[in-house]
Amino acid sequence: MRTMTTQSNKAQLTASFRDPSGFLFSRDGVLYRQVNRKYEKEYARLMESGLYEKLIKAGLLIAHVEVDQPTMEFDAVPLGGAGYKVIQPERVPFISYPYEWSFGQLKDAALATLSIQRRALRFGMSLKDASAYNIQFVRGKPTLIDTLSFEFYKEGEPWVAYRQFCQHFLAPLALMALKDVRLSQLLRVYIDGVPLDLASELLPWRTRFNFGLLTHIHLHAGAQKKYAGEEVRSRSGSMNKQAMNGLIESLGSTVRKLDWKPRGTEWGNYYDIMNYSDAAFEHKKQLVGEWTKNLKPTQVWDLGANNGVFSRVSSEAGTQVISFDIDPAAVEQNYRQVKSEKNERLLPLLLDLTNPSPAIGWANRERDSFGRRGPVDLALALAVIHHLAISNNVPLSQLADFFAETAKWVVIEFVPKSDSQVKKLLASREDIFPSYTRDGFEAAFKMRFNIHAAVDVHESERVLYLMECI
Amino acid sequence: MHLAPQFYLDPGSGSFLIQLLIATVLGLGIALRASWGKIKGLFGGKPKADEDDDDAIQ
Repeated sequence: MRTMTTQSNKAQLTASFRDPSGFLFSRDGVLYRQVNRKYEKEYARLMESGLYEKLIKAGLLIAHVEVDQPTMEFDAVPLGGAGYKVIQPERVPFISYPYEWSFGQLKDAALATLSIQRRALRFGMSLKDASAYNIQFVRGKPTLIDTLSFEFYKEGEPWVAYRQFCQHFLAPLALMALKDVRLSQLLRVYIDGVPLDLASELLPWRTRFNFGLLTHIHLHAGAQKKYAGEEVRSRSGSMNKQAMNGLIESLGSTVRKLDWKPRGTEWGNYYDIMNYSDAAFEHKKQLVGEWTKNLKPTQVWDLGANNGVFSRVSSEAGTQVISFDIDPAAVEQNYRQVKSEKNERLLPLLLDLTNPSPAIGWANRERDSFGRRGPVDLALALAVIHHLAISNNVPLSQLADFFAETAKWVVIEFVPKSDSQVKKLLASREDIFPSYTRDGFEAAFKMRFNIHAAVDVHESERVLYLMECI
Repeated sequence: MHLAPQFYLDPGSGSFLIQLLIATVLGLGIALRASWGKIKGLFGGKPKADEDDDDAIQ
């Protein structure tokens, strides 16, 4: 593995250091990808064979243009005058990670990876990796962002990314569908996907009667254990193209059969049971819409978005909205709605605000923390502050600090103690929050924000604030 | 059969072997299906559409 910490290659972004074909770097705030000379022939095949156009047309690969920028040469990297070309990929509005995706998002990312592999094979190429981190949601659809993922397909050779596909996609999907949807969080611990022996142990015994899961997970895990560290390639035999197609087809049908439906959700029917009148709801929508329109943010983060009702109001103002919620069912419902309405401006993601995604990977620099991906122009925190302040005991001053680090502008809803939702939170515990009042809230937030508006929501005791970070 | 590619990711010995085994069986399945399709074709059955042309999957 090459190291990343030499003085000369600081601009090289830390997530793309493994592949000798090229890497991402940033110059004057623009993101580029260098194609190394080592990858010249493969790049030419991708671009000239028609595969690139086919993938772009299907929305499966990120588009790029070749630019006249000098390549980067690193003394520390023994690649021999490595740089060949510099390309500028279309910028992805928000980088998200598989442990932030709902079941449906991970499933669609898996199917997109297999779709790409099928198309690549038809053009004599094959994916050399099947990392879930190479997929990003662009205009609502899973898209491969690593243009250098293709190698020449040599008939007879197995799929080099098979293990990775099973670990990054099949194992977590099977665990989510057949054991517990929360097991997607294993991906946060295991950056190269769920170890197959662990998946095999956790999956219900009956999954051995499912041919796809029996072979690709259980037998696969057994074979890994049996042949660990053995040199097997010289006597391993050959795998013709028909066998390769059979393998990809089997992975596809195994993935397609896995399903998870959101039910028994924490917030699933939140809007039906809450103490909102229609007038209050409409008034909130109107304020969120108006304020988004006036501010013209390039991106909005809706923190505690539930199934995305207010995210949609914001996105209708023409902005890109990332719609975060802690509940896998709400995120799944939101994603299904995004798909059915073909919404290109809304990305639902799973996030626990009390424990947001950390920075993970090599030197903690491969995958950014939630905070590092900000600050955003505008954050919405609607009906969420009481959960953080009361359920999670976060002092109001610390909440103000958190929001000030997260966004330049915030729309925050203050929910007073007299509100039935807060009463519920306090029903079974001591009230240790004497400063949780409208005055206490304003005093804490004024330390970090200028309050531009404070509007009483119609027919409710709640107040909606528009604030700008100082 | 000589396989000596320089993979940049280690595909794993066990993953390699099990893949060969599974894929060979599945490949045979595809071959059988194709032949069955041809036999049916001889007797006037309609050939199945190519499932692999999956622009509609997304």
